[in-house]
Amino acid sequence: MKSRIDRRHVLRAALATPIILGAKARAAGTIQMISHRYPALEYYAGKMRDAIPGVTVNTQLMPIDKAMELATIAMSAKSDTPDIVYASDTTMQTFVKNGWFRPLDDLWAKYQDEFKLGDFPDTVLAPYRVDGHLYVMPHTVNTMMFFYRKDVFDKAGKSPPKTIAEFRDLAKSFNTPMRAGTISCLKPVDAATNEVHWYLNALGDGWFDKDWHPTFNTDKSVRAIEMLKEVTKYAQQGFTAAANDECMIALQQDIAVMGLQWATRANAMDDATKSRVVNQIDWVAPPQGHARIAGDGYAISAFSKQDPDTLFRVIATSASQASMRGAASMLIPPRKSILDDPEMSKANRFYPAALASYESGTRAPSLPEFNAICEFVTRRVLQGVTGEISIKQAMDTAASETGTFLKGHGYYK
Amino acid sequence: MVFPLGYAMWLSLLNYDLGSGSREFIGFGNYRELLDDARFWITLTRTLGIVLSAVGLEFCLGLLIAYGLYRLTFGVRVLNLLMFLPNIVTPVVAALFLRWIFVGRWGLISGILISWGVFPPDFLGNPYWARVTIVLADAWQFTPFMILVLYAGLNTVDQSQIEAAQIDGAGVWMLLFRIMLPSIRPLIIFVLSIRLMDAFRFFDTIYVMTGGGPGTATETITLYTYALAFRLLQIGKACALGLLTLLFVAMLVALMIRVVYRREKGAF
Repeated sequence: MKSRIDRRHVLRAALATPIILGAKARAAGTIQMISHRYPALEYYAGKMRDAIPGVTVNTQLMPIDKAMELATIAMSAKSDTPDIVYASDTTMQTFVKNGWFRPLDDLWAKYQDEFKLGDFPDTVLAPYRVDGHLYVMPHTVNTMMFFYRKDVFDKAGKSPPKTIAEFRDLAKSFNTPMRAGTISCLKPVDAATNEVHWYLNALGDGWFDKDWHPTFNTDKSVRAIEMLKEVTKYAQQGFTAAANDECMIALQQDIAVMGLQWATRANAMDDATKSRVVNQIDWVAPPQGHARIAGDGYAISAFSKQDPDTLFRVIATSASQASMRGAASMLIPPRKSILDDPEMSKANRFYPAALASYESGTRAPSLPEFNAICEFVTRRVLQGVTGEISIKQAMDTAASETGTFLKGHGYYK
Repeated sequence: MVFPLGYAMWLSLLNYDLGSGSREFIGFGNYRELLDDARFWITLTRTLGIVLSAVGLEFCLGLLIAYGLYRLTFGVRVLNLLMFLPNIVTPVVAALFLRWIFVGRWGLISGILISWGVFPPDFLGNPYWARVTIVLADAWQFTPFMILVLYAGLNTVDQSQIEAAQIDGAGVWMLLFRIMLPSIRPLIIFVLSIRLMDAFRFFDTIYVMTGGGPGTATETITLYTYALAFRLLQIGKACALGLLTLLFVAMLVALMIRVVYRREKGAF
């Protein structure tokens, strides 16, 4: 039978067109959000979805490396999705430099009173300003704390370590085939960066000198990374592929005794549905300080075609005082009214350690290329730790790669 | 196909860096830089090692199983169907599944062995074992493809040749190696070429299972290309690497066809 287009086909097509276009319009109305994933951010994602009645927010949460790669792919292509993008104080540097984020100054001023935005301390906002413009609304202040099994320490008559050398000795003494002496999270890039950051800043010469020349391959820094390697002898199996999730699970499942982990993971230790060590984990500031401090928040894509006011209201609603009070058990809230509330500190037993860790912590270098550089450094450190090359060779190679990279970016001749 | 390839060629001639914002014409500068880059040669060698091991293993296993199926007198269809299942699973899903099997300490294999008091190696965390695991993972997923193609090929061999060989006293293995394999040589070259080209693009499984690590132990040329483009934001250099890979794979397949058919003309 020969098919042909008749009047009936044309009529059907005409009737179907508004339906198809309508569906497209509805799809275009959905706000797309990409984010890193951990319990506090999952909570905020829920708040964004419920922020404005009638406005659909599609939240995609994934591990930070993947979230940032996805955002990079989309935004380098100037795609109009995502609309709302997760940003940390380091990732935002790259995105702002590339012109991928929209400054929030006008919206911040417009909604200052409605969302009580003056409640954010200047010290929290400072890392999110570039050339005087604010790009990110903070949702968390985060710091790495020292997690340890109080019951195991008490039984052994030990107290939390004051130095990294003591930490190594304790890890060695607690290490058994069934329970590792410590966690180590060396999956490149983000997780390994945190650990390298601590050793470099606490024992070595840090990342860079004032002219952005690498200092992570000086003799002192090489010794610091050699200490990292020594500590990993007592780490949980699979530490080279472990990120924060895997390390959190290792502590929750009684697979390791102690180690460095983000404050935002503290509350999960006492979650009876997931943890075997409820009320057995305690926290102190990391030995010798200088562990990484960071912050998370959300920014608006410069390429989004959605109404900026709507996007800002979605973000601000999720970061409202009421929302942050609800999330206070999962993070350090960046609002003064909550931080200064003694009831909050009493209700969240990790707060004193988190604040002590924050005071002794060190931020990552304020360099847009920092994440790219960590790609070189963490992979080379891993090669050193797994014995493929020496630590000295690893750090020298990473320094050489970094030098070439930064030279190409005009940092020095 | 022409437009993306042409665009990639054009980008490969630029110093196109999203991080620095530069986009200047530098001719073959990216190619020169890559050919002088130790990481390029190391990842290329590692890729070759992983690809040849994986495809070799898949071919040997695939041939043995296909021949077994050929000689089987019952249940061939059901077995064929069951064995093909890993091949129809999306690679990322398969990789996630395999990651939780091989992950250290609480993965399926480690968990079972540790409960018996045996502490296995760190499959994904030890450089040597990570490479072995990646090869096994690829073999798990793509051996069924080999089985399917080789089984179909074995069934096309002229029955009168087989019967003649059997009358002459040829055993099971002689039948396979002397009669059947030479008969399906074009098919073998075809399936190996397809798998070689495919395995060179090996990305999703490694990305999910090891991320190229530990260190750079499982970093293949595609992972390096990915790192250049989306971590270091060096788009021009990443395009140049992609084109070098294309060139290399084309040369490898051409060489393979030439070696196997060195005495014959017009094989394809």
